[in-house]
Amino acid sequence: MEAIWLYQFRLIVIGDSTVGKSCLIRRFTEGRFAQVSDPTVGVDFFSRLVEIEPGKRIKLQIWDTAGQERFRSITRAYYRNSVGGLLLFDITNRRSFQNVHDWLEEARSHVQPHSIVFLLVGHKCDLEAQRQVSRQEAEKLAGAYGMRYVETSARDAINVEHAFTELTRDIFALVRSGDITIQEGWEGVKSGFVPNVVHSSEEVTKSDRRCLC
Amino acid sequence: MRSRVFPRPASRQGLQAQKAVHFIAAAKAPACGRKQKLAEIQQALFSDPVDIETLRRAATTNGGLLTDELRRKVWPKLLNINVYSLPRKPGQDVRENHKDYNQVVLDVRRCMKRFPKGMPASERAMLQERLIDIILEVLKRNPQLHYYQGYHDVAVSLLLVVGERMAIAMLDTLSIYHLRDFMDPTMDSTKHILNYLMPILGKADAELHEFMIRAEVGTIFALSWLITWYSHVLSDFKHTLRLYDFFLASHPLMPIYLAATIVLHREKEVKQTECDMAMVHHLLSRIPQDLPYELLIGRSQDLFNQCPPSLLAKQAALQSHKSLSISTFQAFQLSTLHQRPDSVLQRLSRAQGSTTSRQATRHPGPGAAAPDEDRLQLLANGNRLVKMAVWGLSATLGAAVFAVAQTAMEWGPEMLLQLF
Repeated sequence: MEAIWLYQFRLIVIGDSTVGKSCLIRRFTEGRFAQVSDPTVGVDFFSRLVEIEPGKRIKLQIWDTAGQERFRSITRAYYRNSVGGLLLFDITNRRSFQNVHDWLEEARSHVQPHSIVFLLVGHKCDLEAQRQVSRQEAEKLAGAYGMRYVETSARDAINVEHAFTELTRDIFALVRSGDITIQEGWEGVKSGFVPNVVHSSEEVTKSDRRCLC
Repeated sequence: MRSRVFPRPASRQGLQAQKAVHFIAAAKAPACGRKQKLAEIQQALFSDPVDIETLRRAATTNGGLLTDELRRKVWPKLLNINVYSLPRKPGQDVRENHKDYNQVVLDVRRCMKRFPKGMPASERAMLQERLIDIILEVLKRNPQLHYYQGYHDVAVSLLLVVGERMAIAMLDTLSIYHLRDFMDPTMDSTKHILNYLMPILGKADAELHEFMIRAEVGTIFALSWLITWYSHVLSDFKHTLRLYDFFLASHPLMPIYLAATIVLHREKEVKQTECDMAMVHHLLSRIPQDLPYELLIGRSQDLFNQCPPSLLAKQAALQSHKSLSISTFQAFQLSTLHQRPDSVLQRLSRAQGSTTSRQATRHPGPGAAAPDEDRLQLLANGNRLVKMAVWGLSATLGAAVFAVAQTAMEWGPEMLLQLF
């Protein structure tokens, strides 16, 4: 039997080429780090359960996207059904930080009428000696856009769990407060119950959900 | 949606019968067919003009082109490439001033899993640098082409088999024809080619098609299959090679027919999956590594014959867009019909001398004669003597022995020089 979960959140991971999107996701979902990771061609899919409170599990569906600009016309289609996103830049690559604004614009213009809860991630923080973007500067930018900021390293497993869990908690809080609601025809959030039934803290088996499509 | 082209019961039976035929062919061929196939390929290569139809058939039927030696012989013929007037190795200037330079370097330097596992790091690093040069050389020759992530997967597959100079020639031709649609400034044409997938599925299995439509899975799961000719997703290089044999000898849309065939092959798994976009995408995008390739190749061809692109193109969704790969394919195929065998090409190339033979190439390289060319010339001269001796042998020992000797003599030294 599949593991039980309360909600399913769909996340998208974006950012320039080689900032480490696939490595971060693999560290989170598979618990390992590849020294070198082949470029992502198109869109890859990963999933994992996270426990945000004892006994409360959320299933994360994570879309990993190719960083090369020409693939944006493909990855665009994945924004609309995402409730959350990790926007990565590489702290040793200033250019990737400068492009954060463009990525946000790209996402915002294609997510209508919904919105995405973004987390700004300064990746490769183990490479302190080569740092080109200060923490203060990144925090300032994140603040300006109403995002949290986290620095991570897939290589040294720094803050990887934290980044995904924090984002999941934030989304969970918004779902609980009613700011984000489950909607027919939108895949960003799904309930572990039969869709459209609001529930408290109980858990159900995934097999209770039937495909209504 | 019911298929009008072949009514359901008949088509089911038809497909089953074809499946059975392919299965039998796949099961019995290795023992007795291999020798005969080797001889047939050799004979086709020596015919004047080269018997391209036989080579195409060999590349698509059971086992494909069998060995890397034969691939080095046959692949260039399938693409109408003269192996005696290959492009020279790119110089340092190939890396200067190219818009895609950064992306190519980033992608190639981290492209690891495509090299053989046991290869020493230094050797791999050297080949990666060659790979950068190969890609940039082809892009520089064809300013209308744009690099995409995944193109490097095609380039590395070629490099590992045919060496640097022939990889340039092959990648150049492939980029102008088979891969052309993927190399536009935008990915609109790539999406157009992907749009053939669902109509093919619809014709072959209406029920599965309907499930996929309900799941809204789209076709992006097949994107990397299509634009890398599956080399990005297959971990065993011998499967990649087998598919390259097939695709090099086929219509540019064949990779999408294979995609449909793979989905059809996994029909049960697909239907058992939750009818959800992410779940179905997840299932399909992870390609099983033990697929029965011979069977699937045969089925793809059947599917292609039963619902050819022209038939599918009549559908509304496929009408508006023009594919360069499709529209230039017929002319490309015709161009492969009048090739001379390598022995003749070699003689011609020697007779013309290195300077004039350079001018005869489709893309003459600039600058003075490269050391490479001298080396090739030396090899060619050496080979003449070898070949004369082999000719004598062949009269008594038959074509098979000739084939083996010829292959070893011609490709051994050249390959070593190019690769290492």
